[in-house]
Amino acid sequence: MHRRCKRRRPQRAPPEPDLVRIRDLVYQVAGIFHPDNKLRLLQDRCGRRMRELKVQSLREYLECLTIRPIRQSELIALLNEITIGETCFFRNQPQLDALRRIVLPNILQIKSKLPLRRLRIWSAGCSTGEEPYTLRMLQIEEAGGTLKDWVVEILATDLNERSLAHAKAAVYGNYSTRNLTTAWRQKYFIPQGDQFQVNPLARSNISFSRLNLSDDTRMTFMKGMDVIFCCNVLIYFDLASKRRVIQHFFNNLLPHGYLFLGHSESLYGVSEDFRLVHLPGATAYVKGERALPGGKSI
Amino acid sequence: MTTTSVSKELLLQRLDGLRQIPTIPAVLAPLLRYLQQPVEQLDVQKVTDLLAQDKSLAAQCLQMANSPLFGRQRVDSLRGAVVSLGFRHLSDIAMSCGVMNMLPGDKASLDPVVFWEHSLGCALVCRTLARKINLSDPTKAYLAGLLHDLGIIVNLWVLPEEFRKAYEIAKAEGVPLHEAEQRSLGFTHCDSGRLLAENWGLAPDLIEVVAFHHSPEKSSHDTALVALVHIADLLCRMSGLNHGYIEQRQVNLFEDTSFGLLAQNSALKDFDWARLTFELDSYMDEVHSLVRAIYRA
Repeated sequence: MHRRCKRRRPQRAPPEPDLVRIRDLVYQVAGIFHPDNKLRLLQDRCGRRMRELKVQSLREYLECLTIRPIRQSELIALLNEITIGETCFFRNQPQLDALRRIVLPNILQIKSKLPLRRLRIWSAGCSTGEEPYTLRMLQIEEAGGTLKDWVVEILATDLNERSLAHAKAAVYGNYSTRNLTTAWRQKYFIPQGDQFQVNPLARSNISFSRLNLSDDTRMTFMKGMDVIFCCNVLIYFDLASKRRVIQHFFNNLLPHGYLFLGHSESLYGVSEDFRLVHLPGATAYVKGERALPGGKSI
Repeated sequence: MTTTSVSKELLLQRLDGLRQIPTIPAVLAPLLRYLQQPVEQLDVQKVTDLLAQDKSLAAQCLQMANSPLFGRQRVDSLRGAVVSLGFRHLSDIAMSCGVMNMLPGDKASLDPVVFWEHSLGCALVCRTLARKINLSDPTKAYLAGLLHDLGIIVNLWVLPEEFRKAYEIAKAEGVPLHEAEQRSLGFTHCDSGRLLAENWGLAPDLIEVVAFHHSPEKSSHDTALVALVHIADLLCRMSGLNHGYIEQRQVNLFEDTSFGLLAQNSALKDFDWARLTFELDSYMDEVHSLVRAIYRA
């Protein structure tokens, strides 16, 4: 043994090939991508499922996801693990900043020529309501500025009745409110024991309803949207259903409309009609044919 | 973007008049010349010997060689790095370290760490993109990404105060740096970079990358390479690998000039831009820690 010990910079071990295969499978099936620096997170999530299934190796777990009879239910169980705890207020700050600083000004500029100063924002798959309330709080913040004299409708839909009931009650614990500063908690929440309820101002002007995104008839009625948020919802749909939902979103959106998906969620292989656009630290989808507002050179 | 004759003259005057014109590091000039040869004629030992002449450069190269961005195996010697990484990778690393030592230490305007995080990030995205769409030699693409903003080095040396103002405007308004430079200086880092690249005797396609990465349609040698760098640069500027501030605007690659220039590449037809964007995230932590480690070395 060498007597002199060399100081070595800590290194990340190369990713396990089976983990990379699981990453690629999750991306292919659900559209959620784990970059190399998030693979550890994916490995932890797989680990929980492996303990549940009493599976010893990633290789064996990959088989559970691909060739064993339980593969479909196991994939959903893994997706649940991946998205667990995702729902919170101000979940994706760069996305919200992009909405406020780039997307809304773009839309307002286009719509300012129209007589009706109205915006429709849809939280599709709103779960327990953190997303639509976040949007409402942003709207209140902008009401005296960018959105002055504009009427903003926020529609929030989900398939799950229990989630909707939770959303309407608007009572949240520390986990959901972890991204909020004290000032925001004081401004928009009322303490209820060790929990917080969204105050009446931030609860107003949001329309909650139950909607199945696969319900073609009802989806055709969701017209005239300026922005759709659909975060971590499409991952549970198979490719054909996903395509149908996305086609509906395409029709639901106005020509200048924007579709936001969850963090590291992609429409690759799902839609030819939507175009990926890059916003500061975030991505969104717009309708393919239209020109960039303002036609700014890059 | 055109340089007004007055400001270009001013720039040339300053370049001629000042002694601190950045010179290409001694080791890199022969290395660059050597790299112009076809790959089958290149000798690994010769590169190792060239690098070994500069001890601090050799140490930095080893630090990079041990980053997951470049290698997977621990190496303790330059020769080990050559064996483990292969010649092409090692020259990427040597170039990175060589040019990184060229920025003035003054952090008054653009922090050198931030500048190199962007350049190294862009180099890595260029390399990945070149590999994925089989467009260009990945090593050349890497080098092009690494050197594309050479003009910023020139501006920092030659017109530090004027450049600081342009940078402050860009940062405050969230606009691209070249737009702020054009408004405030009358020329951009593309113009000043071109002078340096020519002065260094870089290959014509690299000179074009430096000169036209914000206007790829003006290039004539290797338009696809310039367009590739343009796109990689854009993706970095819209992410955490920016110039120290994030541009406040929307970028639609599908409507970008460079996208049209690459359109004949069939691999781009179904290219997964979302995945490439998400992959950028994985470079960020590594690039940040690597550049900081090198500056501490």
